[in-house]
Amino acid sequence: MPKLRMTGRGLWITILIVPPLVFVALFIVYPIVSAFAYAFFDWQGLRRGEFVGLDNFWTVLFVEPYRSWTVNAFTHNIVVFFALMVLQNGLGFILAYALWRELPGARFHRVAVFLPVVLSTIIVAYLFKLFLHPLFGVVNISLKGIGLGWLAQPWLGQGSTALWSLIIAQAWHMVGFPTLVFLAGMQRIPGEILDAVRMETESEWVKITKVVWPLVAPSATIVFTLLFVGAFNWFELPYIMAGLDGSPYGSTDVLGLYFYRTAFGNVSSGQQDFGLGSALAVLIFIFIAAVASVITVRLRAREIQL
Amino acid sequence: MAQLSLRGIKKRFRETAVLHGIDLEIGDREFVVFVGPSGCGKSTLLRLIAGLDPITEGEFFLNGQRMNDVVPSRRGIAMVFQSYALYPHMDVYENMAFGARLMGLSKDEVEARIAEAARMLRLEPLLQRKPRELSGGQRQRVAIGRALVRKPAVFLLDEPLSNLDAALRSEVRLEIARLHRQIGGTMIYVTHDQVEAMTLADKIVVMNAGRIEQVGSPRELYETPANTFVASFIGSPRMTLIDVTREGDHLSMKDGGGSLAPGALPDAAAMKLGMRSDAVLLTRGQGGEGFAGQVVYTEYLGDNAYVYVRLSDGTLLAARVGPNDGFEPDTPVTMTIAPGAAHFFFRRGWPAVGPIGPKHVHTEQRGKNEKQHDPHRRCPGRDGRGRTRPGPGPHLLELAPGRPRCL
Repeated sequence: MPKLRMTGRGLWITILIVPPLVFVALFIVYPIVSAFAYAFFDWQGLRRGEFVGLDNFWTVLFVEPYRSWTVNAFTHNIVVFFALMVLQNGLGFILAYALWRELPGARFHRVAVFLPVVLSTIIVAYLFKLFLHPLFGVVNISLKGIGLGWLAQPWLGQGSTALWSLIIAQAWHMVGFPTLVFLAGMQRIPGEILDAVRMETESEWVKITKVVWPLVAPSATIVFTLLFVGAFNWFELPYIMAGLDGSPYGSTDVLGLYFYRTAFGNVSSGQQDFGLGSALAVLIFIFIAAVASVITVRLRAREIQL
Repeated sequence: MAQLSLRGIKKRFRETAVLHGIDLEIGDREFVVFVGPSGCGKSTLLRLIAGLDPITEGEFFLNGQRMNDVVPSRRGIAMVFQSYALYPHMDVYENMAFGARLMGLSKDEVEARIAEAARMLRLEPLLQRKPRELSGGQRQRVAIGRALVRKPAVFLLDEPLSNLDAALRSEVRLEIARLHRQIGGTMIYVTHDQVEAMTLADKIVVMNAGRIEQVGSPRELYETPANTFVASFIGSPRMTLIDVTREGDHLSMKDGGGSLAPGALPDAAAMKLGMRSDAVLLTRGQGGEGFAGQVVYTEYLGDNAYVYVRLSDGTLLAARVGPNDGFEPDTPVTMTIAPGAAHFFFRRGWPAVGPIGPKHVHTEQRGKNEKQHDPHRRCPGRDGRGRTRPGPGPHLLELAPGRPRCL
């Protein structure tokens, strides 16, 4: 082991590393660890009360009304995950394939598809809120304009369409990301392998399902795992478009909103409970970590060294 | 049965013209080798035949059927790629079964064909392995096997040996030759290695800069090269080419020095004299009949040796000598030519006459696809449409324009 003398190089490294390390420890590691601890205490506003063991966990999972709130939010997260798996990752794969095959205009579309990813979620969310406005939103006006006025809806104002509107806004926002990852994966496939397939079939379907898809497995692992984490941490877009209550009537409530509301209180009631909030946060964390590890391990197994 | 016919094939990638009009007939069961330096368009031509790239101009017929717009998988053609291009996620069996199943063959038929190919290529113990668990030579055999099970009319092989080490290369070369005899399909093989071309081919197509320079059997190309490009490309070491001028019965080198009279001379003032290493006779000392030069170095190969001689005009000449003839560097030598072994080339790299002498009576052995070998019958400097072909190098154009026959 090299001796670390506090001169020259070693000194510089220390000076450069210590401040960010302290920052991370203070503002990231410490809050995470303390959130774990908070979950085991009773809280009265900002005042910490008794140690209550697993009571907070029990409450959010099995005591009404928390139980049905938890179930409701969790169900929505599952819907969001599967919907985005199709709309975001599925569409992303198809877009990537089209871009990879260099269809006309591929250069333009490569930029166009990725552009929304760069936009801030706040901008996208407000934009879609305006688009979907029942009276002067561009969606309803367009529908009326082409004679489909009967399809016009208060998209964000009714339980049957609100969650799906958010999902579509999210898919539009992020579809460029899986596209880019898949495209990079496809570009790694040697050209001669594609030529070899073309010698054996002209069916795009066979090419995609039997050759391209298995060979972009590493990209799929990344994209699936990130989507899973993202879907169960989903917060910004529903917060801006649907508000902290997951309006209307909890039809857009997801775990992120539910946790925030429970921990920090909500605009109307002002109740806050760090104990229950932390318990929820810990449960969400454990769930995501466990499932994401399983997904990663399972998907890694089918990856192929090119 | 497979009869290929290429007519006026041209290929452009945007503005860059890669092939400038290829006319070629390939017969059934022929082993044809496209050979030429890198970038001459041989691989491009192969990809056009496979259908992987569209033909810009001209027509390609397979058994009389126009193939220009037929997709690759429907042409009855299989290809072995330079990098083998095995599917990395399938084992050897699946790699071979994939294409066969897509042809709509029954399960039993697929199995039978794979068993047959595996036996022929000694792949039986490897069927359950993934490509990454195979050596280069094994991958090569799987790639050939994958082509075999489709029982194509035409096999295309794109530099199949270039990723193998030297020892394996000659082994697989023999294997491919054996396979061709065994299955009897038409094979088109691309390489830049003239040794591979000479050893494998029934018919060699020498290409250069997007054009066919000459088509013929290995022997024809070696003994009666159509021009200086073919002459120096085929044969190792390269044929030595010297600019000479004719003076009566003698030839003299351009920058003075030496002269020699190899027999009946063609009717021209300026020409290039071509000599293979085995056509050159070296004698120690200078003076007398022949060209003077100095030994530069000697390559000893065991059964014989090559002596490289710098002639007085600067040309490096290769001469084959006996292994015990020990020519030391800087030895002054005189070079003469074995009777009947000289080649003469005139302007633009095309020969007006073949090698002179009884050894080279080449009119009878001309293949049916061979064009413009007999300059007395047809003007060699022009292609079929009467246009003059550019020569392989600008230096040839410096030759005096005194050619009587082909201007």
